[in-house]
Amino acid sequence: MTEELTYPDVVNFAVPFFIAAILAELVWIMIRRRGGRYETRDALTSLLMGAGNVASGIVLGFVAYGFFMLLWEITPLDLGTSLWVVLLCFVLDDLRYYWVHRFGHRIRWVWASHVNHHSSQHYNLTTALRQTWTGTFTFMMLVRAPLILMGFHPAMVLFCGGLNLIYQFWIHTEAIGRMPRWFEAVMNTPSHHRVHHGRNPRYLDANYAGVFIVWDKLFGTFVPEYEKEKVDYGLVHNIGTFNPLRVAFHEWVAIWRDATQPGLSLRDRLMYCVMPPGWSHDGSRTMSDGIKRRHLEAHPEDAGTPGFTDMAGRT
Amino acid sequence: MPLQILLPMVVIGIAGIAVLLHMLGLSELARFDDEAAARHAWLREYPDTPPTRVILSHDRHAALVETDFGAGVVWPMGMDTTARTLRGAEIRRTKDGLLVDLPDFTAPRIRLRLNDEEADLWPTLMNRKDRP
Repeated sequence: MTEELTYPDVVNFAVPFFIAAILAELVWIMIRRRGGRYETRDALTSLLMGAGNVASGIVLGFVAYGFFMLLWEITPLDLGTSLWVVLLCFVLDDLRYYWVHRFGHRIRWVWASHVNHHSSQHYNLTTALRQTWTGTFTFMMLVRAPLILMGFHPAMVLFCGGLNLIYQFWIHTEAIGRMPRWFEAVMNTPSHHRVHHGRNPRYLDANYAGVFIVWDKLFGTFVPEYEKEKVDYGLVHNIGTFNPLRVAFHEWVAIWRDATQPGLSLRDRLMYCVMPPGWSHDGSRTMSDGIKRRHLEAHPEDAGTPGFTDMAGRT
Repeated sequence: MPLQILLPMVVIGIAGIAVLLHMLGLSELARFDDEAAARHAWLREYPDTPPTRVILSHDRHAALVETDFGAGVVWPMGMDTTARTLRGAEIRRTKDGLLVDLPDFTAPRIRLRLNDEEADLWPTLMNRKDRP
């Protein structure tokens, strides 16, 4: 069985590339006067969130890695380290990413970790680096367990996860419109991912893909960028702070406040943790499907257009 | 990558980009062209609570919004904006305007730059109706 296996820490090695690409995008925007927006405090917050993400990985990374190595001890399977196995691991890990990301938007406990990535009202390459500090506490490492048990070495799985993250960096830009049609059909692109970052009702809960957009098409969450409606970036209810600590922890605090309200049943307290963002015990808040429905009530002409195709006639 | 290389690269990279953006003039705050712009900014955050009245600050960086459910404020988040109702707000006068403390972890403090006349008037308007 493969015991000692090491791959380069690709995310850390990509840091110089990240910095260079941000500078290149900035120069492009300043020269062309289009293709995105930069703002000092927003970008600084995003970059600090990225640095914090690396730091939290150094401090807490042993938890996930220890768990994976434990599974590796248990499993009798070992697929080896051939190139084909690495490629298969990459594809399956991207499927894993799709579901973790989908859970990240539909389970508030996981959203509490992921929300910071959506907290910027900008969409540029620094937004890609606005990453979580609290991913370990979502326990989404469990979703990787099947890969290890199937015989993919933990180091290989983490290597593929790193490549996945690096791929997703370049799609956080408005400087690129659309890629060639064949590429848009298979791969996640700036256009597809802009949709994912939209707070417009039509763009909510769409395009969870990491590398291959085919997962969204397969599981019914794909929404194309609609040329008649520009993406409005940010959260449904935008935050009013650039403080990285507040950005990192605000939804955890919100869960705590909701779940510890006096007079709730144990079930309601649990629901505040696991139901989608916007759920409330008394129905006083609105979840994404309610936001979409309300939009269609006000704009019935949008029924059947991207983001509302499965809601036609439900107004 | 060794921490001795990674750490300085991250620190210098972040600081360098922040300084560059500031020097390029990308630290300016959002400014409302008119009341309609402030109204639009409010409705981005509270689409179901239309303003009954919008009062722009003298420098157009902020607006006081009155609704049927009480008052709120729209203010810049860098080049963009956000808004909050004033439920539970504590309002204090400062030498250049008002400081609004909210029981909201995502927007704990709003610093409003107002002239003396506005700083005298706005707290009254903020408290006039029942807060939502």
